[in-house]
Amino acid sequence: MENLSILIHLDYTLMVVAIGAALLGTVSGALGTYAVLRRQSLLGDAISHAALPGIAIAFLLTGSKAPLILVLGAAIAGWLGTLLILSIVRLTRIKYDSALGLVLSTFFGFGLVLHTLIQRTGNANQAGLDTFLFGQAATILERDVLTIAILGGVALMIMLVFWKELKLLVFDEGFAASIGLPTRTLDILLTSLLVMAIVLGLQAVGAVLMSAMLVAPAVAARQWTNRLRLMVFLAGCFGALAGVSGTIISSTASRIPTGPTIVLCATVVVGISITFAPNRGLVWDRIRHQRNRRDLKTATGRLLK
Amino acid sequence: MLQGHFDIQLIAIVTAVACALPGVFLVLRRMTLMSDAISHAILPGIVLAFFLTESLSSPLLILAAAGTGVLTVFLVELLQRTKLVKEDAAIGLTFPALFSVGVILISRFAGNVHLDMDAVLLGELAYAPLNKLKAFGYDLGPVSLYVMGAILVLNLVFILLFYKELKLATFDASLAATLGFAPALIHYGLMTLVSITTVGAFDAVGSILVVALIAGPPATAYLMTDRLSRMLILSAIIGSVNAVSGYWLASLFDVSIAGAIATTTLLIFGLVFVLIPNRGIIAIARRQARQKWEFAQTMLAIHLFNHEGLPEAEAESAIADLHEHLSWDPTFTNQVVKHALNNQYVSRKETQLALTEHGRTIAQQALVQ
Amino acid sequence: MQASKPKAIEVTDLTVAYQDKPVLWDIDLDVPPGVLLSIVGPNGAGKTTLIKAILGLVRPAAGNVLIYDKPYEAQRRIVGYVPQRGSVDWDFPTNVLDVVMMGRYGALGWVRRPGKNERELAMQALEKVGMEAYITRQISQLSGGQQQRVFLARALVQDATIYLMDEPFQGVDATTERAIVTLLQELRANGKTVVVVHHDLQTVTDYFDWVMLLNIRRIASGPVEETFTSDNLRETYGGRVAFMK
Repeated sequence: MENLSILIHLDYTLMVVAIGAALLGTVSGALGTYAVLRRQSLLGDAISHAALPGIAIAFLLTGSKAPLILVLGAAIAGWLGTLLILSIVRLTRIKYDSALGLVLSTFFGFGLVLHTLIQRTGNANQAGLDTFLFGQAATILERDVLTIAILGGVALMIMLVFWKELKLLVFDEGFAASIGLPTRTLDILLTSLLVMAIVLGLQAVGAVLMSAMLVAPAVAARQWTNRLRLMVFLAGCFGALAGVSGTIISSTASRIPTGPTIVLCATVVVGISITFAPNRGLVWDRIRHQRNRRDLKTATGRLLK
Repeated sequence: MLQGHFDIQLIAIVTAVACALPGVFLVLRRMTLMSDAISHAILPGIVLAFFLTESLSSPLLILAAAGTGVLTVFLVELLQRTKLVKEDAAIGLTFPALFSVGVILISRFAGNVHLDMDAVLLGELAYAPLNKLKAFGYDLGPVSLYVMGAILVLNLVFILLFYKELKLATFDASLAATLGFAPALIHYGLMTLVSITTVGAFDAVGSILVVALIAGPPATAYLMTDRLSRMLILSAIIGSVNAVSGYWLASLFDVSIAGAIATTTLLIFGLVFVLIPNRGIIAIARRQARQKWEFAQTMLAIHLFNHEGLPEAEAESAIADLHEHLSWDPTFTNQVVKHALNNQYVSRKETQLALTEHGRTIAQQALVQ
Repeated sequence: MQASKPKAIEVTDLTVAYQDKPVLWDIDLDVPPGVLLSIVGPNGAGKTTLIKAILGLVRPAAGNVLIYDKPYEAQRRIVGYVPQRGSVDWDFPTNVLDVVMMGRYGALGWVRRPGKNERELAMQALEKVGMEAYITRQISQLSGGQQQRVFLARALVQDATIYLMDEPFQGVDATTERAIVTLLQELRANGKTVVVVHHDLQTVTDYFDWVMLLNIRRIASGPVEETFTSDNLRETYGGRVAFMK
């Protein structure tokens, strides 16, 4: 019976939503890999929060709610936030974590001020803010899927074209510069890709939970492989898996919000990976540990005889 | 209405100071993001306690939230200790997961109860004074003022009692450990305080903007002083100024108070960042412009000094070729030479430059430093 | 002026400052081709900065660096670089062969992927450093010495004429140290120029034929037997060197 009800729910709308969530999961998972490897996991959190004033200003300036314009505003604000964080760290003695926390919360607060301003003019409602905070995976339409596919596809293509350059940048920036790679430009490119992944992902899980969509698939993927190629691929797959399963689970019962469900699915994948992945996983580690001890015991036993 | 204005500002100030004090240690210990994580991750704790007590003002809520906060810190450290996940990723994994649990619990089971997601995330300071503490028929003032006041006192007492230990554990954890001050205990004590403070501030400003209260004033104060004690006092003052000016900004434009406080936090940080003597960017730029000339003159003196009395000295000290040796712009080189002549670092002998006694001392001093 | 001998590296009047703190003051250094040069000096003497300035990784406040009479940008292909081992995250998801192939990225240019040819070159380099048995090993599972050998192999596949190495002996085992020394001397025998940032004063005379003593300014540079004197060392280390006989 249970299975039947799931099947019935797999209707057309749900399929569109699932495809959208899968695409978003793929893009944020794949690009999130670089953030995790550069230890910038929380930069995603800052960018996603800092995007709010950008969305509000884009709306105030154009009066349009077209996704592309709002995404552009979000991207610019996310970029400015990143730039401010980096300048604070470079110019003062304030450390990365404080600069990040400061920019994240105050940009968001400013966005909130703008939002209440817009609200008073009657042009927006609380739902707009909720969408920003928690995403709107459940309301993804066909044309949204198209936007996501095109923008996300472009981002992934750029990542693939500059694969070896980006890999070297992340692994060994000094060496990359010594062979003549423009490391600063590549750095900007990589951050822009990350911003792109984030502003797209906002639609699925919202600002608050976005960092999980960047971090979780990558952390899970890292446990299964020691190759970057496979890690990016797996992270994309895990992201898609979390997107689809989160969407389906939240559709099986009423009042289960989609975004948080997607995040929990991603977290479960991390849990399984950390525990059971061969070689790196905790279970494997325990087994190896015990085998070593046993070997040591028999060896010393033999020695004593 | 006047009373309302006053109450809101008082609550805002008390909240801001209560957040800024532990914030100083978070900023110095590079753990600001832990407060971001805690403020989100305590949601399931609050929700569960709310289900048990069906009240938002029960002290149990604060206990549960503090427990969840400490649990978050513990989970992050546990993840890190597996060596499979780095610290930043561990934080980025833990708090969204816990927060998601909270959100799902709320929307699944609390749909009809008064526990509003927006209130949790954004807070609403304007409503804070409406909930009055009443005893024996007397109105004793807003409940949240008492709650935040108690938390402020708690933070103050903790910091005053353990000032020495906190200072030592912040600047030299290993020394603190060898002296028997148990930095881990201090660490968890601080994290408990942060959790409690965060829950208390929830009502007023919500879980995202609480980070602005915790990180903003200490980061601003960090640009103004080198002393921990002054940094604490300055943070408290800046926090209060942010709170009051934010409140007035909000009333002026009729916008979210918490958002406005965060905005003034950013503005005041920006002002200090740009204007403060010594560490502001204007001061840095001016110092660099000044030092550029001094530095260039010293470079010139050292250049001449290094080649003094050597066979190549003649070539190296020819005024016309200097810019080539140093790869400087010719006009820049001319100006440096002019400055150096004025300051009597060097003297001119036809087409050559020679160090004066003063210039030689300058070069030697710079090299020894 | 007289026709001078060719110089592999020519540093003239180089001053480097971070913000307003000078790290190198007016450095002059000529490195003739085919020498094995060690840069020696106390902590904070600017040894790494000098290497980075030669590689164009930091911008000098004054002065010039020429590689065979041309700026570094024009000579990139003939310079190989071994950064400090601690400068990268060894938990990065990649294996030994992959890291070594990174040495070919400069020659490959944009977008083109390494192929069979790069693989073969990497294998040869790994054989030279005795790491051919580890090609598929994840780099975090290597010992410090093995990691250093992988970095050396990466520089070898760059097929350079000049090698700049930042502390290649840092934290390696005795076997690796011997292997590296043999490799360096082999490079010199093949006419390559090798510049090494070095820490261990005891081994300078055994390993190197040229030395530069550096402490923010150049104290001395030249052939080891002429330059590596107790007077110069005292000037470099400020009288804190007691072990010299």
